[in-house]
Amino acid sequence: MENYTKYKLKKNDELLSLLDGKDNLFIIACNKCFKKFETIDEPECGEFEKLAAENGKTVTGSARVDFLCNKTQTEKKLQDMIPEGTENIFVISCGLGIQTVADLAGKPVYAASNSLNYTGYHGMALTERKCDACAQCYLNITGGICPIVDCSKSLVNGQCGGAKDGKCEVDSSKDCAWEKIYQRLAKQGRLEEFLNQPVQLRDYSKVDYKYVSNYVKSIRENRLDGYYGGVHPAERKEFTEHLALKRFPDPEVVVIPLSMHAGAPANPIVQVGDTVQVGQKIGEAAGFISSSVHSSVSGTVIAVENRGHATRGECLSVVIRSDGKNTLHESVKPHGDLDSLTPDEIVEIIKEAGIVGMGGAGFPTSVKLKPAKPVDTILLNGCECEPLLTADHRVLLEYADDVIFGLQAMLKATGAEKGIIVIEDNKPDAIELMKEKTAGYDNIEVSVAKTKYPQGAEKMLIKRTLKRQVPQGGLPADVGCVVGNISTTKAIADAILRGMPLVERVVTVTGERLKNPGNFIVKIGTSTKELVDYCGGVTGDDVTFKAGGPMMGFDLSDLDVPIMKGSNGIIAIDTDHTVEQPCIKCGRCMDVCPMELSPLYFAKFADEQNWQGMKEKNVMDCIECRCCEYICSSKIPLVSKIKAGKTAVRGMK
Amino acid sequence: MLITELKPRETIASLVDGKKVFIINCIGCKEVHFPEKEISELEAELSASGNVTGIMTTDYICNPDNMKLRLEKHAGEIEAADAVLVFSCGVGVQTIASYLEEKAVYAGCDTCRLPGFQGVTPLEYKCDQCGECYLNLTGGICPITACSKSLVNGQCGGAKDGMCEVDSSMECGWERIYRRLEAIGRLDVLKCPTQVRNFATDDEVSAE
Repeated sequence: MENYTKYKLKKNDELLSLLDGKDNLFIIACNKCFKKFETIDEPECGEFEKLAAENGKTVTGSARVDFLCNKTQTEKKLQDMIPEGTENIFVISCGLGIQTVADLAGKPVYAASNSLNYTGYHGMALTERKCDACAQCYLNITGGICPIVDCSKSLVNGQCGGAKDGKCEVDSSKDCAWEKIYQRLAKQGRLEEFLNQPVQLRDYSKVDYKYVSNYVKSIRENRLDGYYGGVHPAERKEFTEHLALKRFPDPEVVVIPLSMHAGAPANPIVQVGDTVQVGQKIGEAAGFISSSVHSSVSGTVIAVENRGHATRGECLSVVIRSDGKNTLHESVKPHGDLDSLTPDEIVEIIKEAGIVGMGGAGFPTSVKLKPAKPVDTILLNGCECEPLLTADHRVLLEYADDVIFGLQAMLKATGAEKGIIVIEDNKPDAIELMKEKTAGYDNIEVSVAKTKYPQGAEKMLIKRTLKRQVPQGGLPADVGCVVGNISTTKAIADAILRGMPLVERVVTVTGERLKNPGNFIVKIGTSTKELVDYCGGVTGDDVTFKAGGPMMGFDLSDLDVPIMKGSNGIIAIDTDHTVEQPCIKCGRCMDVCPMELSPLYFAKFADEQNWQGMKEKNVMDCIECRCCEYICSSKIPLVSKIKAGKTAVRGMK
Repeated sequence: MLITELKPRETIASLVDGKKVFIINCIGCKEVHFPEKEISELEAELSASGNVTGIMTTDYICNPDNMKLRLEKHAGEIEAADAVLVFSCGVGVQTIASYLEEKAVYAGCDTCRLPGFQGVTPLEYKCDQCGECYLNLTGGICPITACSKSLVNGQCGGAKDGMCEVDSSMECGWERIYRRLEAIGRLDVLKCPTQVRNFATDDEVSAE
C-alpha cells in the first residue's frame, strides 16, 4: 500500500535552533492519515522527544492524536490535554494539523515537521492515478489519460518531441504521456477526432480558491448543523411519498411472532384449535421489559411453533387461519377521553395494547412512559431520516389528529409540559398540516429540522431540537426527555380512542427494484412475500431485500417472514458487489460518526479480537446507524464488526 | 478529497450527441461535494432520448478492486454503449478509462482543488505542502496560503486598512501573523534571519 505520510520531521539543525531558548514543551503528533492502519505509535514523536531531552529540555508531555485536522474533535481533545506549566507546543503533522492546533491552543505553537507534497493524489483509495484538480478536465480529449499529471511538462496539445524510445526526456523512467495518449486513442479509433480538436488553452483562472473556500465554509456549517457527523444518502422517497395509504388485502393466514419487542418473548396463551378474534390477546408479556401480543384476524389457531423471523432467524409464533370476518374481540372498546383517565390508567392501556416502539427497536412504550427521572418534553420523531421509507410521513398526513391525540396522552402520562413534533424539511406538506393542526394547542409545537441522517436517532434528535446532550450510557430521561415514534403515537390513539391493540401498522413497500411501490396498512403477521407479490414483484435478478430502510434495515434472505410491530418498510434494492479492502485511514468514518466515535478502530480491533480495546474506544456508545459503513471508502462491514465487539464486551462483565 | 463541478451542458451534449452512452456516477465524496441534483436532471434528459444503455451510481470508483466488481454487473450495458460518461473527479475518470481501455470514456465534471484536501475534512485552513513549514515563525498562520503573494519575510506594504491590495476582501496575512505573535508574546521571532524559499521538486524534498 502506498504510504501517503504528509509530513516529515524537520532536520536536526533546524530543530535545534528552533528549540533554542524554549523550554517546557508539549509535543503533539498526528497519527498520520492515508496509510496502512497501524496503531503502533508513530516514531517521529519519540525521535523529537529524545532530541528535546538530550538538549536538556523539559517535556511536559506528549500526545498522539488521530486526524488533527478534524477541528471539532481536536478542540475537544485539546481541552484537557495540555498540562500546567507548558510554555511551548510543538506539533508534528502536516500544515493543516499545525494550523488547527495553533488556532486553538492559545499558546505558542511550532512546527517540528515539513509537509510533503504529493501533488495530485486526491482519490479516497490509495491509487496510482493522479488528478491535479485543474478545473478544466482534459480527459475527454486524451482517452482518459491525464496530460497535466502524466506529462512532465503538463502539455495539453501533444508531445514536446523530446521523448526517446517512448520515455520522457525529463524523467527517463517515465513513459511519455503523449505516446500513451496516442496509443489509447489509436486503439479506440479516435485519432482523427483528436487531431481535429482546436488548440487547447489552459485557463489558470479557473482554479478559483475563493469560490472553493466559501463553498467549503458553507458545507462545513451544514455538516455540523445541529449535531456532529451524519450523512446524506440519496433519499429516493419520491417512489412512495405521494401515494395515499391503502389497506392491504386480508391475508388468509397470519404468523404472529411472540417476540416483536425488546426484552423477553411473550408467553402464548392460546392453543392449536382455539378460535380467536381481532384484538384478542394471544401472548402475555413475560416480565417488565416485554410486551403482550394480539391477534390481527379472527379465525382459528392452526399452530404454535417456531417460524422464520426477520431479525432473530426463528421465533415461537402463533399461526392463525383467518375466517375472513374480522370479528372484534369483546375487549376491544373505547376507553373514553383523556380527561377521564389518570396517567397510570393511560400507561396501563398502552401496556395492555402491546404497544412498543414502532421505529424498529421495539422497546415497550409503557416502560418508556414511566421514566425514572422527571421529564419536561416529549419529542415525536417525525424525521423518518431513513432513505426510501415514507410510512411515518403518510401517517402524519392521514392520521394527524390521532398523532396529536397520542401525543397528548403521552404528555399526560409522563407529566411533561411540552410536546414537540420534529419533522425533516423534506416533508413540507406534513410540516404545514401539523402546524395547522397544532395551532390551537399551547403545549404542542412543530419543529422543522434540516434533513440529515441519522436525525431520528433519539440522541441526535434531542441534541438538534433541545441542544441537550444525553450523557454517555444514559437515556433521554436523563436530560428530561422522552422520544416517541409517529406510528407508535398513532397506535396509542387507537388503543385509547378505539380500544384496539397494536394489530396493524403502516408499511412502505418500495425500492428501485420493486415494480409497484406503495404505502399499506398491513395486519401484523402478514407474510412479507405476499406484500412483495402484491406489489408486482421485482425487476431483474440479484435483488437485495431488507426489512426496514437501506441504512439500518435487516437483510432478508427469506421473504417468508411476517410483518411485525417494528416493520416500517420492506425494500427491494440493487445488490452492491464489493469486497472488504484494507483500511486506508481516510478518517471519514470519524468525520461522520454522530456519536463522535472512531469506527476505524472497531474494524481493526474486531479483526484482532481485541475486545478490551473496543471497550476503551466506547463501542457500547455506538447506535449502529451505519453512517461509518456507508461512507467507508474500503467498504469494510463495520457494523457487523461493531456488533461482534458489543457482544464480546457484554460478555466481559 | 475533491470537489467537482458539472461541465457546461453544451460540452456534455457535444460529447454524447448521437451516441449510446453508459453513465457512471461516483458519490463517494458526495459529503464534500457532488452536483447530484444537476446530474440527475441531466441524466433524465439523456435517458428521455433513449440513448442511455444504463446508469450506475456507486461510490469510490477510485478504488480499482471494488470498481471492477461493480462494473462487471453492467458489462452488457457497457458493451452496448459507444461511450461511457463518468461523473466523478479526475481520479475516478482515469480509473474507469484504464479499466475500459477500448471504450471512449468521458468526464462529465471538472475537478476543483479543495484547500486542505490532504486532511480528513474540508477545512478553512490551507496547506500548500511547500515542504519547508514556516508556521513556527508565523505563530501558526501560513504565509504561503494566507498572503496573496506568499511572502515569507513580512508584509509587502500594500495592505490598506488591514486588507490585502490584491484582494480587498481578504485580510492581510502578515497583519494576522503580527497580531497572533503579539497575542502569544512572540514578536521576537520576526527578528529571525531572512527566509529563502526552496522550490526544489517534490521528489527532491522527499528524497532528502
